[in-house]
Amino acid sequence: MSQNNDSNNHGDERATQPGSPQSGGGKSVSNDEILDDSGRRTFLQRAALGGGGALLAGGAAYGFVNSEIKGKPVSDYPMIDEAIFKPKDQRATVLAFAHSQNLGDRYPERTTQYSRLHNKDFDFQEGFADMYAIPWDNNKPGYTQKDRALQQAGWEPLKVAGSRMVANLQPNTPLHSWDQSDVEKEQYQFDGEKQASDSIKSAARVFGAVKCGIAKRDRRFDYDPLYDPENDRNLSWEDDFPFEPKTVIVMLSPMDYDCIATAPAWTADGTAADGYTKSSVLANQMAKFLRGMGYHAVGAGNDLGSSVPYGILAGLGEGGRNGALLAPGIGPRHRICKVYTDFEFVEYDRPYTWGMTEFCLSCGKCAEACPAEAIPLPASKDGGYGFEPTYEFSDEPGYTWNNHLGIRKFYSDSKKCYNFWVENGSACGACIASCTFNEPDVWHHIFVMGITPKSPAVLHGWMAQLHPAFGYGHTGDPKKAEKFWKTGEGMRTNSDMKNNIGTSNKS
Amino acid sequence: MEHIQWFLIGVIFTVSVFALTYLSLLVKLKWYAWAGLITGIVAVLFGFAWAGASFQEGIAQSGALALMLFSGSGVILMVLTWRYLVAPEMNQPAVQDPESGK
Repeated sequence: MSQNNDSNNHGDERATQPGSPQSGGGKSVSNDEILDDSGRRTFLQRAALGGGGALLAGGAAYGFVNSEIKGKPVSDYPMIDEAIFKPKDQRATVLAFAHSQNLGDRYPERTTQYSRLHNKDFDFQEGFADMYAIPWDNNKPGYTQKDRALQQAGWEPLKVAGSRMVANLQPNTPLHSWDQSDVEKEQYQFDGEKQASDSIKSAARVFGAVKCGIAKRDRRFDYDPLYDPENDRNLSWEDDFPFEPKTVIVMLSPMDYDCIATAPAWTADGTAADGYTKSSVLANQMAKFLRGMGYHAVGAGNDLGSSVPYGILAGLGEGGRNGALLAPGIGPRHRICKVYTDFEFVEYDRPYTWGMTEFCLSCGKCAEACPAEAIPLPASKDGGYGFEPTYEFSDEPGYTWNNHLGIRKFYSDSKKCYNFWVENGSACGACIASCTFNEPDVWHHIFVMGITPKSPAVLHGWMAQLHPAFGYGHTGDPKKAEKFWKTGEGMRTNSDMKNNIGTSNKS
Repeated sequence: MEHIQWFLIGVIFTVSVFALTYLSLLVKLKWYAWAGLITGIVAVLFGFAWAGASFQEGIAQSGALALMLFSGSGVILMVLTWRYLVAPEMNQPAVQDPESGK
């Protein structure tokens, strides 16, 4: 049909439409007549064009979001101020310090200074015992006997395995053993580096990792010296560690969305403890897998090296304001484990950005939610993002002993964080639950995640405000605990897990 | 439920395409009238899809706000476009009556 015919038809149709002034007086033409053969063709042509165009636009939007979700490689990580940077002494981490009476006796000023500045009688070493000694209250949702039981059950496999202290940076526990006596004599030879990486990641998937990346070992992020809190002994990479690591495999174990949403209630620590257990098993299995292929390997939790920068180096996420690794899709709702190995014939991952760290500059929802006020607000000096801490008392000599200075990141006061744990009777997790990147794996969150990098920074603060407005990220709400305890209602199949009939792609 | 939701959105999408196509046969509209109608329909569908996902994940507040913000504004946009840009065109005689000259 020619264009002229089209336009003629159009004119006729408009002139005789029902309800128009010309529709009466014998000039009326019924719809059936309007849509004669050529009209039908026009209708179908336009419908196909319009529908096809809409589908194309939808496909383009899907492709755009998909592309953004993959992130963009960055070359400026890590940003180091060499003047103040030095390797991190493992003894100068809050959890290792708090769980070693020997360190407490050796560095008493850390405790006295904290107590003096915050005007409270706080003891880091006694805190751990005090934390779990707080009695439950069955009339207080989130702090009942059931919540305490969930928390203890989460830790139990690690206790049975003798590896509970890995969360407190204890190296060489049974699940993270340095023993290399079971390394196969014959080394499996891969056809190529990509095949090796794919194989490692396939194994990680089977073992339960939600994400896996492979980084080159970076001495700047290894604790040096290493420290064994149980035996109060410094350990050397050269003399004590069983081999020279070349590669660090980083894996993430997911935590439950509804459980962490109860933070800072004890319930939330149930999934944190479970995450530690799962990540320890994961590291143990991956290390064994590598030893089975004839390569040295040692699994690690919080020990051996700083997990967040290794996660960034492995391309798994970005550093967040709350000090956690923000992984696209789950944000900070995960536990990190690492495997140090001398296997180096792999395709290494590299740091990526999804615009999350930049978003953190304007967001600050974690800082607002932090009951300890340990996280810098966006309004603080440099937005809290720099090469050294800017939080309260950070200019007091020696007060920032727990921070790794000289790396550009968000510095939080983890001493105050730990102090709140002790008062709360459990680890907290409010900064995880409130994070705007902590979302269930549902399409609209992925969509927002996809458009975030391209959205102007001026909108980020506004987007952060919409997060709670839409009902996400509230913490300290007793109803969240009640809701969590109903998430198993009528469950016959766990839809969080793949490979169950009818639940594929629902996790 | 998720599959039913996407199916229903597909049905609404298809009906919308046919409705707009039919409208294109009835009247000749300015480009901004089409933009208003299409944006309105997309906003309504986006709100429905968001709300479905939100109810499915158990965050009803998100679903309600999405319906209000996205679908609601989409409906308002369509109504305003129809009232001020489409309806006047539909009521306008396109062919001159040779007798009355109107």
